[in-house]
Amino acid sequence: MAAVAPAPAPRGSSSKTESYTDTKRRDDVRQANILAARAVADAVRTSLGPKGMDKMIASANGEVIITNDGATILNKMEVLQPAAKMLVDLSRSQDAAAGDGTTTVVVLAGSLLRGSLSLLSAGVHPTAVSDALHRLALRAVDILHGMAIPLELSDRDALIKSAATSLNSKVVSQYSSLLAPLAVDAVLSVVDPAHPDLVDLRDVKIVKKLGGTVDDTELVKGLVFDKKVSHSAGGPTRVENAKIAVIQFQISPPKTDIEQSIVVSDYTQMDRILREERNYILGMVKKIKATGCNVLLIQKSILRDAVTDLSLHYLAKAKILVIKDVERDEIEFVTKTLNCLPIANIEHFREEKLGFANCVEEVSIGDGKIVKITGIKDMGRTTTVLVRGSNQLVLDEAERSLHDALCVLKPKEFIWTPIYILHGMLRCLVNKKFLIAGGGAPEIEMSRQLGAWAKELQGMESYCIKEFAEALEVIPYTLAENAGLNPIAIVTELRNRHAQGEINTGINVRKGQITNILEENVVQPLLVSTSAITLATECVRMILKIDDIITVR
Amino acid sequence: MAAARLLKDEATEEKGDRARMASFIGAMAIADLVKTTLGPKGMDKILQSTGRGRNVTVTNDGATILKSLHIDNPAAKVLVDISKVQDDEVGDGTTSVVVLAGELLREAEKLVNQKIHPMTIIAGYRMAAECARNALLLKVKDNKQDPDKFKSDLMKIAMTTLSSKILSQDKEHFAKLAVDAVLRLKGSTNLESIQIIKKAGGSLKDSFLDEGFILDKKIGIGQPKRIENAKILVANTAMDTDKVKIYGARVRVDSMARVAEIEVAEKEKMKQKVQKIIAHGINCFVNRQLIYNFPEELFADAGILAIEHADFDGIERLALVTGGEIASTFDNPESVKLGHCKLIEEIMIGEDRLIHFSGVEMGQACTVVLRGASSHVLDEAERSLHDALCVLSQTVNDSRVLLGGGWPEMTMAKEVDELARKTPGKKSHAIEAFSRSLQAIPTIISDNAGLDSAELISQLRAEHHKDTTNAGIDVISGGVGDMDKLGISESFKVKQAVLLSATEAAEMILRVDEIITCAPRKREDRM
Repeated sequence: MAAVAPAPAPRGSSSKTESYTDTKRRDDVRQANILAARAVADAVRTSLGPKGMDKMIASANGEVIITNDGATILNKMEVLQPAAKMLVDLSRSQDAAAGDGTTTVVVLAGSLLRGSLSLLSAGVHPTAVSDALHRLALRAVDILHGMAIPLELSDRDALIKSAATSLNSKVVSQYSSLLAPLAVDAVLSVVDPAHPDLVDLRDVKIVKKLGGTVDDTELVKGLVFDKKVSHSAGGPTRVENAKIAVIQFQISPPKTDIEQSIVVSDYTQMDRILREERNYILGMVKKIKATGCNVLLIQKSILRDAVTDLSLHYLAKAKILVIKDVERDEIEFVTKTLNCLPIANIEHFREEKLGFANCVEEVSIGDGKIVKITGIKDMGRTTTVLVRGSNQLVLDEAERSLHDALCVLKPKEFIWTPIYILHGMLRCLVNKKFLIAGGGAPEIEMSRQLGAWAKELQGMESYCIKEFAEALEVIPYTLAENAGLNPIAIVTELRNRHAQGEINTGINVRKGQITNILEENVVQPLLVSTSAITLATECVRMILKIDDIITVR
Repeated sequence: MAAARLLKDEATEEKGDRARMASFIGAMAIADLVKTTLGPKGMDKILQSTGRGRNVTVTNDGATILKSLHIDNPAAKVLVDISKVQDDEVGDGTTSVVVLAGELLREAEKLVNQKIHPMTIIAGYRMAAECARNALLLKVKDNKQDPDKFKSDLMKIAMTTLSSKILSQDKEHFAKLAVDAVLRLKGSTNLESIQIIKKAGGSLKDSFLDEGFILDKKIGIGQPKRIENAKILVANTAMDTDKVKIYGARVRVDSMARVAEIEVAEKEKMKQKVQKIIAHGINCFVNRQLIYNFPEELFADAGILAIEHADFDGIERLALVTGGEIASTFDNPESVKLGHCKLIEEIMIGEDRLIHFSGVEMGQACTVVLRGASSHVLDEAERSLHDALCVLSQTVNDSRVLLGGGWPEMTMAKEVDELARKTPGKKSHAIEAFSRSLQAIPTIISDNAGLDSAELISQLRAEHHKDTTNAGIDVISGGVGDMDKLGISESFKVKQAVLLSATEAAEMILRVDEIITCAPRKREDRM
């Protein structure tokens, strides 16, 4: 050994000295990353839970948003630091994966980072920390599965409970008893019993309308258009036994694709042209009438007017109810619901392409009007939710959404949230038919079991896992803190109760004490908890593995 | 300077030692930058874009990091180039090649300081590289004859490649995925027929390999959602009226009825075109351009599945895998080659609906659907998988396999050391230096893993002094382990490319004795 030592020795020593300075820099980068990410987590920490506080966000263009939705807050924060950005992405991923728990996941990641920082300063190699986190995540998911309660798709009550839990922490919590069943019904009605995994949320259409209160929000078995029936010539506004056609052509004077001009040389010719135009449209309307169609949905056209005053007049005369300006991307939903086919040319206007409904009527609500189509024959597996709201919240949201297309996400929130969760739940129903208790119970249980597990392990891993097991307690701690309870008393009592085997004990924020949370019907889908822990650990591991920030083109 | 000025005002010239020093420093800085990403416990880097959006990329792929750097130093640029070439040629080892070149230069610098002429160093390096390569050639294993063993070799290589990437936690899953995909190719290195689709959501474990082809598009309204024994016509044609493409062309008519007639005529033309297309006897029509409502309805009436607005990549690949050709005229149905597949159906991945073509003509085609928490993860996963696929497809052709974990470097170092002892003259110093550079690779791997590198390397050296050994660094347990038992393998082709291109690059930089910076063009603010 002595003989060969000289060769590697200079390398070894020189690399040692280098890595000394380098390590310093890397540690700095890592520390900066962790601190930045934690700052983000701290920002949303107080909005966790049913008694969480709202944040006011003043954006650059002078708008003010008040929300306690973690994903929304982070989205609006416009952070620049790359590691902080990763936390924002984290909450977005959680939103996509489970639809809820966006604040939880960020708070969890922040707490895990705090744990990592103390481990790093104790001299643990980042990859060792990262590996420990990976094992921890796997184990934690197992623990969660152990706590979960099976759920059947047919169990409507359980679904409603779960939806209500997630709504409780939102601004619209007072309506959770109304919105939760509504969301459940909406989702259930689009589930194909044969393929419960193939739930497409695009089959649920949300129509917002001002006026009335949130209490008036209803589920419509059929179609709702946030449009007026065209009134211009006194056409019908209510049709029973409707035969509905969805047309993609235009009832207006002809227009060619090539630029055209009509050369008029004298007065009589002009007269003739006007007459021809009238005849042309009349011909079309007659063809439509001949099939027995009495409701016409007309796709918006960019090339030319979909309808003209003249054609509306004729259509009204023919007692055909007209809804114009249906967007092209809505056509699929509409045809699916009505069980009809779109018609792209007048020549193809045949009866077999029509859809049937018992009633098509214009209803005036609030200060606007909508068109409802109900009693559809052979209705497709779609549903429509008509959201109403008169309070400031909805008005604000609606107004804001006009300004900023990005905010479109927000007005939907209060009805989408439960639907999203249910959707996530349904999607994983095939594999994971489970619910889990809320109120910090799973986190405390994970923390307890992982802590016990850490004692069985050896070496660095044990040390790391112990640290992280404690980090998980941040969720009940924060829940209690936000609810104005004494966090230390609550967390220690929870720990105690869990140690005695009452694994479903959690914080009952409403009563301000510790109870069996399952009896309070505070449940959430298992996926929310599992994806929170896996995503949070994944993100923390990624941050830990970064040792340099390089500016590039 | 009394002599007449040769160069322009702002042009600079560096000579002799200074020039050499500048290039050494530049190259070493680059090597040091990426060296922490080496090995299974290597770290990642954040690449923060200064451009609009300040995009953030998290990666540990050497080629990606180097590609995106701002570099001014000419020697550093050489290193970036060799890593690019390595990426194109074999797909992996992009970091190793830069690190090795960096180490070679670091050693060369010391020799130059000892007043050894660069040319002597180069000669020594050349001899050493040749010797190292021969040493590897002696030790390679080739399991081409035994398909089972060969497959397990491939699995090992894939796992080794992936273990240094983000996919390391699920490396078995992905290794299997990559091996299956590459074996389908049956020896061709055309990775085009392996399609990678990234869909956010789910976790990395949910990624899967799918035979056939997936197109991220929607099926037209009212058309069949499932077709068996599909005959597919892939086209790139405008489905609206064939317009006269001259600006200012217009129709002059004298009455409304004429306009209507022309409109009908236009519709008729569209209809004819559709009918011509239908006349090909197809039941699936994929167009790169838009299909408008009217033709869509006609297709729906004919029971044909029509997909509009497919991206160019998508249709080219679709044509490739279904064995069809992209058509743009439809007058002679005989001359158009149709694509075929057993089944077309709509599937759902996560939230999105996609169209799945299975049982395609070209059997080797397949699709890897990557799932992951965020776009960062997905992008990095794609890069990693791409590396693995490249290496595997190279290995299928050149099936020689080596052990990994620093084993090849130590083997080479031992042989090179022996050569140094036999060689008289100054060259032997350079050869010895080469051996030290080779040993730097396992040193860095163990340093990155937070292990005591000096101790490990000396153990490894002792181990390699025996005649046959499989000893390498076992990063997981933190000691010296048997690479054969641990199943850590590398492709010979990659190692050879690393060795040769690193030596060449070092040689090239060593030869430099003058750097002339041309006068910058005006308006270029960066130096």
